[in-house]
Amino acid sequence: MTQAPRIQASNTQAPKVSIRNLYKIFGPRPAHALQQVLGGVGKTDLLKCHGHVLGLQDINIDMQPGEITVIMGLSGSGKSTLIRHLNRLIEPSAGEVWVNGENVLGYGERKLRRLRQTTMSMVFQKFALLPHRTVAENAGTALTVRGAARPEILAAGRKWLARVGLAGYEDHYPHQLSGGMQQRVGIARALASDSEIMLMDEAFSALDPLIRTDMQDLLLELQQDLKKTIIFITHDLDEALKLADHLVILKDGYVVQQGEPQHILLNPSDPYIEDFVSDINRARVLRVRSIMADVARHDGPFDGDVRADDTLESLISLSGGETCKVYRVMEGDRQLGVLDMTELLPALVPARTGKRAMG
Amino acid sequence: MAYYDAMFDKVGLRDWCGETGGSGGPMTMAELLAKKGGGTAADAPVPFLATPFPSLDNLHEACQSIPRTREMTAGVEQLFLGVKDSLKLVLDPLTQPLSWALDGALALFQAVPWFIMIPLLLLGTWLLSRQWRMVLLVAISFLFLGFIDHYSYSVQTLSIIFVCTAICVCLGVPIGILMSKSDRFQKWTIPVLDMLQTLPTFVYLIPLIFLFSVTESKLYGIAIILYAIVPVIRLTDLGIRLVDRDVIEAADAFGMTRRQKLFGVEIPLALPNIMAGINQTIMMSLAMVVIASLVSAPGLGVLVLRGIRNLELGVGLVSGFCIVLIAIILDRVSKSALSRINEAQK
Repeated sequence: MTQAPRIQASNTQAPKVSIRNLYKIFGPRPAHALQQVLGGVGKTDLLKCHGHVLGLQDINIDMQPGEITVIMGLSGSGKSTLIRHLNRLIEPSAGEVWVNGENVLGYGERKLRRLRQTTMSMVFQKFALLPHRTVAENAGTALTVRGAARPEILAAGRKWLARVGLAGYEDHYPHQLSGGMQQRVGIARALASDSEIMLMDEAFSALDPLIRTDMQDLLLELQQDLKKTIIFITHDLDEALKLADHLVILKDGYVVQQGEPQHILLNPSDPYIEDFVSDINRARVLRVRSIMADVARHDGPFDGDVRADDTLESLISLSGGETCKVYRVMEGDRQLGVLDMTELLPALVPARTGKRAMG
Repeated sequence: MAYYDAMFDKVGLRDWCGETGGSGGPMTMAELLAKKGGGTAADAPVPFLATPFPSLDNLHEACQSIPRTREMTAGVEQLFLGVKDSLKLVLDPLTQPLSWALDGALALFQAVPWFIMIPLLLLGTWLLSRQWRMVLLVAISFLFLGFIDHYSYSVQTLSIIFVCTAICVCLGVPIGILMSKSDRFQKWTIPVLDMLQTLPTFVYLIPLIFLFSVTESKLYGIAIILYAIVPVIRLTDLGIRLVDRDVIEAADAFGMTRRQKLFGVEIPLALPNIMAGINQTIMMSLAMVVIASLVSAPGLGVLVLRGIRNLELGVGLVSGFCIVLIAIILDRVSKSALSRINEAQK
């Protein structure tokens, strides 16, 4: 729950993964169609007149080390296609993918395989475990691929299974486990590869809501210790807001808006995103940091101290519903700002560009 | 006068045809019959409804330059005999190991005394099926076969099936894998497989008889393998193509090499289908080994053939029953091995 250092760190460090001008066109002659797209032909026209599907257009994303970047979009928005470009399970039509300062698209087969074995691991929506291997063997897949000895594979598998809460299930087969447990194996498998980057393709979408919440908590807890660079795909805004350090919203293959999730929530740049964010429980998602005012605004007596990362929900219950209170926003021992309860209430109403102008 | 005379005259091919009506060489059966029925009838005008089909024989009557059907078949035979020697030069050494394998297996199976052979078979059954019921079934069957003096015939049949199935698997699984990897290869292979499967078994015994001498065991070996290899190829191809796309993608995402993917993911996941193919292959080689007794394959088929040839009803029926018994054993044991694999990976 320390957001500021992360953000400050991200400003100074080079991005771990960055995607530059990425295009993907599906069809028999993607190169030709790409010229059309660069010439200004839109997605619908491209399909109608040229028979090509524009999967991704002009994607530019920087993913900072140690952060969870969530790419969110509805089905068909190209998010699963996008994540597969990072480890080149899908080849782009144009663009660059930089990982640790190297362009992955320039890699030959051997280097690409090494990237997949050591630098990037992946968690899948449908788990994709090997049904004929035990859970421990599955978790040790990355070591098997690297040609490690069997005891080493099993030891690593056992270690990471215990870490995701599956100790004691090592000798089971995947089909003997529930969906949530299978996905824990999937996560253990990705962690066991000891890679810096983890790709999670709708990893929790196939799970029941309660189990999904458990898994999200597990991921956040693991992330506190491991500080991996995680790229997480989801179609669920609540999940995205819960996990994201950096949120990218994708629609029809282009990035509608990206940035800090709280910022997107308060300043939707597009009617599409307004629609998106209008249905969520803002009090639970928004944090004091996002709506507080400058220290200078108020120096009078405070009704109490709150932490910058408290949710508005907790603040409302703290104030007992009174709107006349003013709180001091603290981070550690430092005062970050001031929160006037009168400013809290408008933040709970989704900003409608049209209505706001009238009001 | 022949019916099509007028046609050749009109088109102006009379010179090319030569004189009408006459026919060189020995008469065909039809000509002979026509002659017996009275030569005068041929000159009478042919009613429209009796118009003959313009076949080789009928056209030949009007025009000698067109060959008769029997000349055509003779030509095919000549063609085959022409390439036979050079074909034999290549095929003989290639297939010789098959003869050795079949003869060796036959000799081995017959040399091992029954009181060792039967326990060995029971052990094999146990290893494959892990079911006491199966072992009991096999034990009773073989004791029965021995009791009615069909043991050595049955063992001959079994030895041929074992050798042929082993070769079918060794050839068929790699072919099936290639098919699953290459759409183009699959496109070319499927018609061949279709042909092998639909060709009546007797028909492809014919060129084999010409190619190899009937005394060579590879003759029936090839016939059995050609007939029985199809299901294992098809089901290997199908099995590998049916492997879950998501699992393959995961294998790629973890950087598996093609070899690791094939042996670590694809073949194990396709194994139930491959085993189903092997089961079919075993059953089809049993079917063929009986027919192959026509070309000197030893075993129970010989007894069936004797039953047919000498009208020995009892011999034919009893040996037929023994074949059914062996078929049941082979089917049950291979299927229980298959279900064991299915159990291991759901």
